[in-house]
Amino acid sequence: MVFSTYLFLCWFLPLVLAGYYALSGLLPRLGCSPALVSRLRNAWLLGVSYVFYGWWNPWFVLLMLGVTVINYACVAFLARPTATAQQRWWSVAVAAGLSLALLGFFKYCTFLQTNVNALFAWWHIPPWPVLDVLLPIGISFYTFQALSYTVDVYRGVAAPARAFTDFACYIALFPQLIAGPIVRYVTVAGQLVARTHDLDRFSSGVALFILGLAKKVLLANPVGELADAAFEAQSLCTGDAWYGVCAYAFQIYFDFCGYSDMAVGLGRMFGFEFLRNFDAPYRAESITDFWRRWHISLSTFLRDYLYIPLGGNRRGPRRTYVNLTIVMLLGGLWHGANWTFLCWGAYHGLWLAGERMRGKRSWYDRLPAAARVACTWVLVLGSWVIFRAPTLTDAGRYFGWMSGLSGADATTALPAALFYAPASVVHMVVCLACVLAPVQAHDWVEHMHWGKVLLVLPLFAVTLMAMFAQSFSPFLYFQF
Amino acid sequence: MRTRKYQLALSLAFVSMLVGPGIIQFGLDRAAGRKSPLLDVMSGWPNAERLRRFEQRVTEDNWVVRRTRPWMQTAQWLLLRDLGENVVVGCDRWLFYRPSFDYVTRQADDRVPDAASAILDFRDQLATRGIALVVVPVPNKESVYPDQLTARAAAGSLCQSASTADLLRRLQDAGLDVVDLFALYARARREALPAAAPTLYLRQDSHWSPTGMRLAAEAVAERLLARGEVGAATTSYTTRRVTTLRPGDLVEMLRVEVIARQIGPEQVECEQVVERDDGAPYTDDPQAPVLVLGDSFLRIYQLDEPGGAGFVAHLALALQQPVMSLVNDGGASTLVRQELHRRPALLANKRVVVWEFAERDVRFGTEGWQSVPLPPQEGTADD
Repeated sequence: MVFSTYLFLCWFLPLVLAGYYALSGLLPRLGCSPALVSRLRNAWLLGVSYVFYGWWNPWFVLLMLGVTVINYACVAFLARPTATAQQRWWSVAVAAGLSLALLGFFKYCTFLQTNVNALFAWWHIPPWPVLDVLLPIGISFYTFQALSYTVDVYRGVAAPARAFTDFACYIALFPQLIAGPIVRYVTVAGQLVARTHDLDRFSSGVALFILGLAKKVLLANPVGELADAAFEAQSLCTGDAWYGVCAYAFQIYFDFCGYSDMAVGLGRMFGFEFLRNFDAPYRAESITDFWRRWHISLSTFLRDYLYIPLGGNRRGPRRTYVNLTIVMLLGGLWHGANWTFLCWGAYHGLWLAGERMRGKRSWYDRLPAAARVACTWVLVLGSWVIFRAPTLTDAGRYFGWMSGLSGADATTALPAALFYAPASVVHMVVCLACVLAPVQAHDWVEHMHWGKVLLVLPLFAVTLMAMFAQSFSPFLYFQF
Repeated sequence: MRTRKYQLALSLAFVSMLVGPGIIQFGLDRAAGRKSPLLDVMSGWPNAERLRRFEQRVTEDNWVVRRTRPWMQTAQWLLLRDLGENVVVGCDRWLFYRPSFDYVTRQADDRVPDAASAILDFRDQLATRGIALVVVPVPNKESVYPDQLTARAAAGSLCQSASTADLLRRLQDAGLDVVDLFALYARARREALPAAAPTLYLRQDSHWSPTGMRLAAEAVAERLLARGEVGAATTSYTTRRVTTLRPGDLVEMLRVEVIARQIGPEQVECEQVVERDDGAPYTDDPQAPVLVLGDSFLRIYQLDEPGGAGFVAHLALALQQPVMSLVNDGGASTLVRQELHRRPALLANKRVVVWEFAERDVRFGTEGWQSVPLPPQEGTADD
């Protein structure tokens, strides 16, 4: 199910909220203890989250359940008071191995087979039949969350879950299930047991949800059409190629940030507090700064569970650069099984290593702040070309257009009809204004007042109407 | 206390706006005695396809969704000159169909060989019965009028997609008779410039104008006569001028009256084909040696207003004899041949089949380009 659909907004969400708050109101009156109320509320959220997830393909619920059971059982084993250090280590290894094997099979099997076949063809060996494996939506997100639980308990950072339903609820929690933010177990462990429900939190969640939905429907979807037209074009002139990649940069930001805002907003409606996932990333002054602001939950996850275990910066400068590049390569691969994602990761890894050589300062840090932001923006645009292009050949072709090296043909002029239509220009300008705005949605909803309420409600009405007039458009990060 | 009031107002308003459309629909369904679509989805194992269908149905059927959509479309048109996802607004309010625009501007893919194979297969099947095939790919409006799409395109230039060029080359290399309307229209545009000659396509419609249609019909007739498969004139036709008003399919597909009123209809001067003797409007003849297959490019002016003034009638006018036609809107790639398969009598006495299809169908044809067997020959027919 997608947040920006009639079914989710007008049926699923109201019913889930009604059921949740009915349980919260009724159960204490029936004499249930607070602990039981909390467990039953989690069980309700678990049930509806499985419906939410199974809406894509009911069979995939079994896969998620499998990952949940593996990690829960391994942690139960390692958390026994009698468990030896070796048993504990093996428990983590089994949980991580099985979870990553499932992720690897569903996400990377076809990619691996295709590339092996390419090598076979080189050596004139008959190809291996390629399995057409369907990618279960959100598998990368919930696998990482399950692993965070196992590793956090192993490290002693978190206690094992009180009950299976609590842990399963954490894995399946529908607000952030499909596209993050990646919520680490330690962040919500306490909230799974006891969390606050009050009007202040609920209403700020509502406001954040509305802003996130507006980002998706009013900004990401329209500029996404421009990005698609650019990246699928037969030919583009230099200016249009830059315009197209800017459109994609806006699309991916407002799509993903919008989803994250909605996830955090929904979480608040159910008493949860997730960490923010974006902090004005296009105002970053270096690539290092960009990664402090973009997909924060992934970058911190990779830092804590990969970069630091690899040795981080403790083993000398050279090893630090290598670690940074490895982490970003794997971060790229996490996004999908494609050479483009690997190259995108390598691109960022090399820039991060380059900036690390200069003490986390960019190569253009002597320029004025606005120029530093502009330079970072250009570097990030370059990375988005690699990220968005279906193949490296397509990325090369797009760079050719951006640099003016690719020739024009009879169709070169035509995309302008779409790019510079009044509506497109207005969307692009609003996107630019929003990414440069000094106040981000998370901060804006902190201190609500009547004025903001009177802005947010009409915005919600307009967003709903726009959503009803648009065709179905799932979130970009669903594919990762 | 004041703090709670605005929080409460926001939360209540939010929940009301969420539940409103569903409750209204529920009430309307109850009042009309309709069964909730939710019961349908729960009547069997909910697989992915069933769930998608259900979701689409509850969304499209919702009264609030249907009522608010035109408001949003109107606001987008009035404020931003935007006509939604299916229409590109060009210069001087020329409108273009988005799938055709995408066809021309986006990269070619691997569907061209399918189209070529299906066409050549059809040619070969017809040849076994002694029937010739002439194909008429109709250029997209965007290909003929790129300069009305954007001022950046050179005036009078033509723009052919790589997919189209590839298909035409494959067909011509295989010896198929293709009527090249691209070259014809390019010449017509060059000759028309800079005079204010009638345009070859309608301004608010994805189809050709009466002028563009007539040029195509004359070119096809010339080709048929040159091939020698069509005999001497059997009927004497003439034309009479009829003026009709067309809102344009690109405006009509929005289904928003306010926008249609604001844009207004386009006045179209048609030439209705009638019999010279008694002025009777043109009608198809099932026994004619020519069968014309095609899509809405055949329907416009012929089956639509004013009637008898479309491609088929003008082909008959140019040949001075009736022809037979089979039209399937949007289905020239496969559906029209499937319909032909179901109607064997249509091939009786035929010597040539003229197959018209829209250029964009090369990639976006409904049901793709399937290989469809000819109907069994009459006498050996199953039914």
